[in-house]
Formats: sequence, C-alpha cells, structure tokens
Amino acid sequence: MIKSYKLRRHIANAFVYLFLIVMGFVWISPFIYLLMHSFRGGAEIYGSTIIPQEWTLQNYIDLFTGSGGTASLNFPRWFLNTFVVACFSCVISTISVLMVSYAFSRLRFKARKKFMNVGMILGMFPGFMTMVAIYYLLKAMGLTQTLVALVICYSCGAGLGFQISKGFFDTIPRALDEAATIDGATKNQIFWKIILPMSKPIVVYTVLTSFIGPWTDFILAKIIMGDARDNYTVAIGLQLMIQQDFKNAYYKQFLAGSVVVAVPITLLFLKMQKYYVEGVTAGGVKG
Amino acid sequence: MKKILAILLAGMMTATALVGCGGGDASSKTDNGSKADNGSSDGAAKIEGSIVDDSYFGDEGTDSKPVTLKVWAPDAAVSLVKEQVEAFKKAYPKRKFKEISVVAQGEKDAATNILNDATTAADVFSFPSDQLNKLVDAGVISQVAFKDAVTEANDEGTVKAGTLNGTLYAYPETNDNGYYLVYDKSVVSDEQAQTLEGVLEACKKAGKKFIMNAGDGYYACTFAFTAGVKIDGLEKDGITQKFVKYDEDEAVATLQAFAKLIKDYRGTFQSLDVANIASGFAGGKCGAGIDGSWDTASNQKALGDNFGAAKLPTINVNGTDKQLISIFGYKYIGVNGSSKFPATAQILAHYLAGEECQLQRTEKLGWGPSNKKVQENKAVTGSPVLKAIGEQAKNACIQVNVANTFWDPMANLGNKIIADTCNPSDAAAMKKLLNETISNVRDEG
Repeated sequence: MIKSYKLRRHIANAFVYLFLIVMGFVWISPFIYLLMHSFRGGAEIYGSTIIPQEWTLQNYIDLFTGSGGTASLNFPRWFLNTFVVACFSCVISTISVLMVSYAFSRLRFKARKKFMNVGMILGMFPGFMTMVAIYYLLKAMGLTQTLVALVICYSCGAGLGFQISKGFFDTIPRALDEAATIDGATKNQIFWKIILPMSKPIVVYTVLTSFIGPWTDFILAKIIMGDARDNYTVAIGLQLMIQQDFKNAYYKQFLAGSVVVAVPITLLFLKMQKYYVEGVTAGGVKG
Repeated sequence: MKKILAILLAGMMTATALVGCGGGDASSKTDNGSKADNGSSDGAAKIEGSIVDDSYFGDEGTDSKPVTLKVWAPDAAVSLVKEQVEAFKKAYPKRKFKEISVVAQGEKDAATNILNDATTAADVFSFPSDQLNKLVDAGVISQVAFKDAVTEANDEGTVKAGTLNGTLYAYPETNDNGYYLVYDKSVVSDEQAQTLEGVLEACKKAGKKFIMNAGDGYYACTFAFTAGVKIDGLEKDGITQKFVKYDEDEAVATLQAFAKLIKDYRGTFQSLDVANIASGFAGGKCGAGIDGSWDTASNQKALGDNFGAAKLPTINVNGTDKQLISIFGYKYIGVNGSSKFPATAQILAHYLAGEECQLQRTEKLGWGPSNKKVQENKAVTGSPVLKAIGEQAKNACIQVNVANTFWDPMANLGNKIIADTCNPSDAAAMKKLLNETISNVRDEG
C-alpha cells in the first residue's frame, strides 16, 4: 500500500494521462495520416510507408487544374457547387430555425405545445426514411439533378431543429421583452433588435451546423444528382474518385480533396469562434 | 390527450412512409409495362452491317418528333463515343436529332443506377454480363431488335451469354472482361510466366511481391475452377448454382497444391486489392500480379517497356501442370425499356456495337472486340494484352448465371487457403473446406 498521498495521486494521474494520450492518438492519427499522404509524391498509388518518402504539392495542383485525369471529374466545380448550396441553405435554415425557436419561446398561441411535440416526433425519424418520397416529389416538380433541390432539402426542414435555440432563448429574461413592449416595440422588432444581438453564441452554432450539412451529406445528394456530374457536391465527387474506374489515377487527389473540404468549414469556425466566448446575456438586466 | 396525439402522429408518419414506398413500386411497374412496346420483331428491317434501313425509325426523328437520347459510357470511352454518335447522326441524314448526349457512367454501377429510376437513366447504356439477370428481372432492359444480324456478326459466346430464356437482350460490345497475368519483364521472364511456380520463384529471388486478391470471390474462384469445380449455370429454380461433375480427390489435391505453393512462398505471395499491383509496379515492390483488363492502362504506365502480359500460369499438381481457370465475362450495350425513342435507341445501340465502332474502340482504347471480323484484325492479334485475354478466355468459366451466393463462399475458400493456419498436407480438412464451400454456394447449409 502506497502511503504517500502525493505519490498515489501522481501514479493515478500518470495512468489517466497515459489513457488520454492513447485515446487522443487513436482519434487524431487518421487525420495526420490523411494530411501527410495528401502531400505524398512518387509514383506509388497507395503509400507503402506510414510517413511519405517524397513530398509534393502536385496532388493539390492536379486537383484544382484537373490535370492527370479525365475531364469528367471536376473538383473545383464540385467545390463551388457545395459552397453555393452551403451558403444558401445556411442563410435560409439559420433564419428559419431562429424564428421558429423565438416563436415557441416567446409567443403563446393555441396548440403551441402540440406543435412542439409534433416537431419532436418528426425529428425522431431519420431523414433518409423519406428519401424515395422526396425524390419523386422533386421529380414531379422537375427539380431533380439541380442544386436548387439540394438547397430545398437541406433548409426546408431546418425549423424542426428548434429545441436547442429555444432552450437558449428561454434563458433570456422575459423582462427585456416586456421593457421593449412598454417602449412600443413590436414582436418582430423585439426579435431582430433585442433577442438576436444577445444570442450570438446560438446564432453561431446554428450557422455552423447548417453550413457543414451540405459538405458532409452523401445519401440525399447522390440520389438527387444521379449521373449529372457537373452538379455533384464534394461528398459524392470524392466518393466517385475512389471508384474502381478512377482510383488508380485519383487516389492521391482524393486525399488532397478530403483536406481541402475542411478549409471553408475551418475558416468559418475561426471567424465566428470569438462570439462563442462572449457573455451570453452579459449586462442584459441589472438588479 | 397528448398520448393520443402522439399515436396519431406516429400513425400518420408510418402511412406517409408506406405511401412513399408505394409510389416507388408503382413507377417501376409502369417501367415494366412499357417494355412490351419495344419487343420488335426480328429481321423486319433491312440491315447492312451496322446501318439499319431508314424506315425502321418510324415517326421518330421527324420534324414533329426530333430525337433526344442519352447514352451512358464509361469515362475512358466518353470522348470516343461522342465522335461515334456524331458519325451515327451523319449516317442517317434524313432523320432529325435534337440532342444525343453522352454521359460518363461507370459500367459497374450501370444496373444499380438504372434500377434507381429508369425514366431518368440513359436510353442506351453499357454494362457487364453479370448484371444482365438483374436488368431482365426488373424489366428495365428491352430485347435486341436486330437479333439475326447481331447473332451473325458476333462471337458465339457473347451472344449466348446475352441470351436469357431464348431472348437476346443486349448488343455484345466486348469480350475482354477478365483477368490475366501481368508481370514486370525485368523480374519475370516470359518463360517463367508460364508456370505459377516460376513466377513466384522469380519474384522471391528479386525480393518482390506477387499480388493476387485471393480474399475476393471474383479472383478466388480460380482456385475452385482450376480444381475442376466449375460452375454450370443455375438449377431450375433459377437461384441455386449448379456445378459440373468433378473428381473430388483431384480437386482436393489441386487445392492442396495451391495451399502448399502459397505457404512455400509466404511473404512473396500477397493477397491485396488489385489496385496495389499498379502501385507496386510503380514503387518497384511488385514483380507480378493477377489483374484485369480495366487496370491495363495504369499497369502499362507504371511498367513502360517492361510490361508483360500472359494468360494465367499453370500449377503443378502431383507432377502434371494444370492450367489456372478464371472467370470471364463480356460487356454489352443495352437499351432502356422506358426509352421515349425506342426505335432510335435500338438503331443507335446496334450502331455503337457494330464493326466500325468496335474497331475504333479496340484501336484507341485497347478493348477486346466481340465482333468476329474485328477479332481477326491486326489491332487484336498484335496486342499482347488482348492475346493474353483471348488465350485465358479459352480457359475460363463464363460469368453469366452466377448465383448471388457464389462470391462470399468463394472468398472464404480463398482466405482459408492463404491463411497461416492452413495445413496443405491435411487432405481431410481440405475436403471438408471444399464441400462446405459448395454447400454454401448452393445455400444448402
């Protein structure tokens, strides 16, 4: 039995840290591998060593200039498509999520609770359950194989994800609304001028989640786009790169592409990160 | 109250989901229905080579009904097929074509993508022979309109494999869908490439790998076929795999020989995905491998002048050299049953599968033709790859009417043979493995 408390604590800590280091390494190693191999040179398609022996930027250059492969795989185009879709669905879904949350949090109307329950239940079903129906509805509207269809799919159901922001709005004291009402503000003005400026963290959260969606969604985009390669998003495009017909020529570009996809999301995150730390309702109500 | 509401809502959701499925079914039924219109009688039109008599178009391609078609071709062929489509338009000057688009679509996923939604899929598409069953079952492919001309022009095997229950469903396009031995001439000599022992010895000496994807049923069935356990179509029920009669002792001995050879050359013999072959040639780590026609271009690029191609080697079983038997398929051009311009689609498919187009693809893309006249062309007889594929095709089981349950047990057989724990001298265990594999393929377990 170890007597010294200090020693015991050190040993316990050592085990905890060792465990954390191992877990951390396991988690991060695929990313490091991906990053390193996206800069791998040489003629080999799959690297035979864990650390590449030759380093080059060629994979990235090929990816954006389209050299070293067939013309039908157009990564810059896919990147642009995804970016456009992400921007539109980000704006639309952020606004709709926040408005729905505000309504549920602040307004009192008939069947409010019931609507919230409906939202909860609908949200429990996985999105791809209705995929076949969505496809045929879009087809009936003549929207399949278009980017508009993607924006519709990603943003129109967004209002259902109101729970988190509603919870946030609930923490903002109603006294603020009341004060504004006394000053003559309408519900609409209260939302835009009082509540929103105080809810930056949740706005940032909503923007980020709705922006990331189009970059990572695969199933829906694949079903909607079919063979229209010009309208692919990066997720289906990258998957195409490692199909049998392409993987010999595109494997390294695929690695580079996977890294590039992370760039816009990271930039957006870094730009918005500072709002996360700002006080939630700092200085909102005194006394 | 809340509970009742929740139950109601859940019920509504389920109902919507079912309606969604129902919608899908309904539309695939219409696809089935429209197939019947396209079953044209054979030999009604006059045909010269790949050109069909203009009257066959009917009212398609007139001013009031200009033709719009979509063609699916694999990426490598897209630009060539575009040229061929232009030539097709010129060949029928009286007809009006609004647009014939050529869209890149891998052959591997052709059937899957057509089954997703036949009405937006291509009117004319190419696919490998093993997808034929699926396409016919779903009723999305219409039968060949010019059966007699196609039968006469193409290799007997390709026509036979494209025929199901007496109906020819697709225009033969290639007969090269198989694998062969590819080797680095600086490592393996042409003579050594004749026997598996020679290939492995040469690779071992040079310290390089021999790669065969023995964990994939597509390649691993070579073990069973070489052992004499060959497939022979399906049973009457249409789903159970039939095997030819084989000599069990000899089969077991052959499998033992494989296991022993692989054990002797452990480290040299590597079971990896075929993409590692081109990669290994480029990195100087691979001496030889068993790879398919689809990777020929990357292997040639990696090896340059040292590129060698041959039929699969032989293996020595108790003193006799036995030829390795592979699985081998064809590629076809099919016509979508729900095409809005069925006659034009048939004429275009016939044109694209015709002699001139096949020759162009052979010359420019290195595809092995199914047309008998093109097969005698210098472009084929002078190509080492097409020669190797042609020779291997004579020693192959045809990949048609293969049961769904075939691949996994074969992969298991391959994995067991190459496993460290495999004991080549244990004939009883090998016999058990073989019988298990067959009963699993036949789904009798």
